[in-house]
Amino acid sequence: MLKKRLIPKFLLRDGKLVKYTRFVDDERMAGNPVTTAKVYNDYGVDELIVLDIVPSEAPRAGVVGIIERMSEEIFVPFTVGGGVQSLESVNALLRAGADKVSVNSHAVRQPAFVSEAARQFGDQCITVSIDYKQVSPTSRRVFIDGGREATALDPIEWAQRCQDMHCGEILMTSIDHDGTMRGYDLDAIHALSARLDVPLIVSGGCGSLQHAIDALEAGASAVAISSMFLFTDNSPIKLRSHLASRGLDVRVSTSSRN
Amino acid sequence: MPGVAIIDYGMGNVRSVKNAVECRGYDAVITADAAQIADASHIILPGVGAFESAMINLRRGNLIETLEGSVRRQGKPMLGICLGMQVLAKGSTEHAESRREHQGFGWFDADVVRIETVRADLKIPHMGWNNITKEREHPILANIGDKNLNFYFVHSYHMKCRNKADVVAFANYGVPVTAVVAKDNIVATQFHPEKSQDSGIELLGSFLSWNP
Repeated sequence: MLKKRLIPKFLLRDGKLVKYTRFVDDERMAGNPVTTAKVYNDYGVDELIVLDIVPSEAPRAGVVGIIERMSEEIFVPFTVGGGVQSLESVNALLRAGADKVSVNSHAVRQPAFVSEAARQFGDQCITVSIDYKQVSPTSRRVFIDGGREATALDPIEWAQRCQDMHCGEILMTSIDHDGTMRGYDLDAIHALSARLDVPLIVSGGCGSLQHAIDALEAGASAVAISSMFLFTDNSPIKLRSHLASRGLDVRVSTSSRN
Repeated sequence: MPGVAIIDYGMGNVRSVKNAVECRGYDAVITADAAQIADASHIILPGVGAFESAMINLRRGNLIETLEGSVRRQGKPMLGICLGMQVLAKGSTEHAESRREHQGFGWFDADVVRIETVRADLKIPHMGWNNITKEREHPILANIGDKNLNFYFVHSYHMKCRNKADVVAFANYGVPVTAVVAKDNIVATQFHPEKSQDSGIELLGSFLSWNP
């Protein structure tokens, strides 16, 4: 049967791998994205997600170059996003070697873009990335432009609309949990996975092996992880064997390094 | 020097296929040129996207006749990947808002239909890593142990073969999903070997040394 996926998530700023807490605080440098991607490929991760966090109209040449070099080094699928606003940008990233392109703020501003992109490039190519915050004990709201601008959208309703517009999967990131390493937003994962037919990748808060198990058992198809892999000794190898030992259906890596 | 022709018809990520072939030490050219295809020892037909656009692009580039010649008449080994597998069927029901089916190559007596999941927790697209189960042996799977028959899939439609002998392997997604088909010098995978790490690279290596 289909395996649960382990996906390191990279944030790029000016071509460097970086990491924050709650999107803005506590910037840390985390190295060279191409060499780090190669190491993760050797670890046998299932996919990679790469997000360029400085928005711009079109993917900058530097980012395209990094994607091209990554695609020479890694033989697992990878999703690329950050500031994507046009079909031309989607095409440029796919031609550079990306397998899927993620769309975030532009999808909110111009929802028809999701269906246009899905129609042109195939449903499976278009991931909608949704960043959200808990704004009161009972409500969550979608934020765009890297968490700077609030919207009136409920993330679960928005995800369902994106699915109706033929996105291939949803990447859901809790801004409140991002970088905190205190666990995923399990309530939101439960609520969304029950209402979604497309795969759900969850992001924000993974700090222990148990956190990943919790998210997958709550209904996520895949866990996106950055801080834990970058800053602790919990590697993808360790996580994979832990998940397998707990009976979760993950891929058996064939890498000789495992 | 004869190498691999990776057919470029504007559908998806051909660069990854080239990178994966080159990492096994083979020369590869991404091309839509009939002369280069005729020179190649092996042909790979990749493809990501929608069936209809793929067929439009293949017809526009005159590639169907070129491949008929090189693969069907001259017998060059060909590997179809994902949508490059599906176009080998007779037709597809994808985005067929009209009742007319989209016509494929018709090399396999098969139709491309949407995966019908039987369980609510099984999402469509079928996206991610799944194992495959062999119905029969085939040289492209010969060097991969059963426990490593894990590959990366991403698709909502799959090929339904009328001739059972064409099917080499299925994946289990609540229902059997056609994963590998083969006939004569033609083999095709629904999954992406170029994205399936060591198992996929091994499969590509076996294809490139296959001389049916």
